[in-house]
Amino acid sequence: MKKKWYTVAVFARLNTRRFFRDRLALFFGILFPLIFLFVFGGIFGHSSGTSFKVGFINESTTAEAKSVANELTHNKLLKVDKDVKTAAEAKEKMLRSQLDATIVLPKDFGEVKPGTKTPSGTVQVQYTQNGESAGSALTSIINAGLQKENSKYVSTFVPFQAQGDEQHNKSLTQFDYTFAGLLGFSIIGMGIFGPINVFPELKKQGILRRFHTTTLRVWQYFISTMISQAAIGLVSLGIMFIVAITVFHLHVVGNWLLIALWLVFSITMILGIGLAIGGWAKNERQAAPLSNIVVFPMMFLSGTFFPRFLMPEWLQAVTNWLPLSPVIDGIRLITTEGKGLLDLGPQIGIMAIWTVVIYIIAFRVFRWE
Amino acid sequence: MTKKIITVDKLRKKYGDREVVKGISFEVEKGEIFGILGPNGAGKTTTLEMMEAMRPIDGGTAVIDGIDVASNPYEIRRIIGVQPQTPSFQDKTKLVEIIELFSAAYGEKVNPMEFLEDVNLGEKADSFAETLSGGQKQRLSIAAALVHNPKVFFMDEPTTGLDPQARRNLWELVQQVRDKGVTVIMTTHYMDEAELLCDRVAIMDQGQIIAMDSPKNLIKQLLAKGFKKKQHVEQADLEDVFIDLTGKGLRD
Repeated sequence: MKKKWYTVAVFARLNTRRFFRDRLALFFGILFPLIFLFVFGGIFGHSSGTSFKVGFINESTTAEAKSVANELTHNKLLKVDKDVKTAAEAKEKMLRSQLDATIVLPKDFGEVKPGTKTPSGTVQVQYTQNGESAGSALTSIINAGLQKENSKYVSTFVPFQAQGDEQHNKSLTQFDYTFAGLLGFSIIGMGIFGPINVFPELKKQGILRRFHTTTLRVWQYFISTMISQAAIGLVSLGIMFIVAITVFHLHVVGNWLLIALWLVFSITMILGIGLAIGGWAKNERQAAPLSNIVVFPMMFLSGTFFPRFLMPEWLQAVTNWLPLSPVIDGIRLITTEGKGLLDLGPQIGIMAIWTVVIYIIAFRVFRWE
Repeated sequence: MTKKIITVDKLRKKYGDREVVKGISFEVEKGEIFGILGPNGAGKTTTLEMMEAMRPIDGGTAVIDGIDVASNPYEIRRIIGVQPQTPSFQDKTKLVEIIELFSAAYGEKVNPMEFLEDVNLGEKADSFAETLSGGQKQRLSIAAALVHNPKVFFMDEPTTGLDPQARRNLWELVQQVRDKGVTVIMTTHYMDEAELLCDRVAIMDQGQIIAMDSPKNLIKQLLAKGFKKKQHVEQADLEDVFIDLTGKGLRD
């Protein structure tokens, strides 16, 4: 038995070393996921809280208009697009959904109207049909802002009012979801795309067949591949963690050992899919379509690129059972929510079932040539 | 009386409706170099693969060193070494590592340098396998096939595609392997090779063995039938010229 594990150890060691000598493998295994991390991190990394993109057009020259304009352009909730100068430009951008709404101070804004003693005016909030919720939210934001202006002229007593109170609890940011999804994507890349590219090539060259003439067993080959993929995976995912923490301020509250264990478990399970497809396929033409059928649903439905809570409930219930969903949920729960193994019962259960099913299939369909 | 190490009895193989090996029988003695000759499609490779436990046997039996191939494939693999027709190795792997991999496949730990030096690849030990020439690959393949001290060594057309120097070098290697007591079974297209190396040959055609004896005896039998070759008076041929001009030294 000791001899059998010696076989596994040597294969795992030499194949890991081989990976780090292969520039192409390094690119796809390590650099490629990093590129995704920078792209998605760039998109979602800084969006803290809600804000509205608005165009601002001031047609009035009164002091009141200036004061209101100053107030609005410094409002944290509004991002004023400075390129928009005319109503026509604003309309065009709104139609393309590049602006949520346009705020207009009409010509007579701030003038003292006949029959009144104080200056008055109406701020117009223009929005398209699609921007309805943004429009009404903006209207009330501006109304609230105008109260300060109003109090200069009329003293008002407000018997009932609402006040916002920030709870100083950190909630999950979009990036927390994105990062867990990207790790999932990276695990798919290593665990599935790795073997389905490598195995048909090894078969074509007769390398697997040559090993088959020895006493090497399938399980030895699988376990050695598993060990080297787990080692490579920890390096690759570790680099992603470092970048996420240093560049995108990922806040890790979970236990690092648990995170590592979770990643190894995940890689092992997902690698089984790659071993099954790559081990079964005689050539690339068989491997490619099958892997697409398996990978694409997972890629889009398991929370890789957008979080699953955005899906309708029935779809969430179905996608719960995809192999990658518990992987990504688990990564997020451990990393950013600091959950322990006991909280992850459902995820572990689903992954355990998949691992058994996948490896039974992988052993059954494996072909040496 | 020498000991039989391989007994093949009425071995058959069918691919669909086509029977490619039609019940062939032969025996191989311990320590002999046994050649299987025949045109392409004669069933040589299939026969070899059935004996190597690489292809299911459809009928008949093959027994190597007292072990039935069909029922004990793993025990067979432990006592045989296999040289495939076109050896290829995974890239980005050093020669020492390849020897290490193959010995590990049998659960053994060996000194890789010893095996590499046996096939004149000591200097290349730290090169990657993909940088080797055809002849060097064949030699590496032989080294890799012998890491576990097999009793029987199967070679499928080992010299196809090699230059004359590399072929000669390989012949010497095969003889060295035999001298260590390993029984060698080889297929080849080259009659000069078979005549020089093989103690006995079986000639196959269309899935059957049509003649089996030592090369000398086969020639004698042909001559006895009254065969006469066009007489050549030259004492050398073009290959002799080539070797004389370029030397026997290996070129890779």
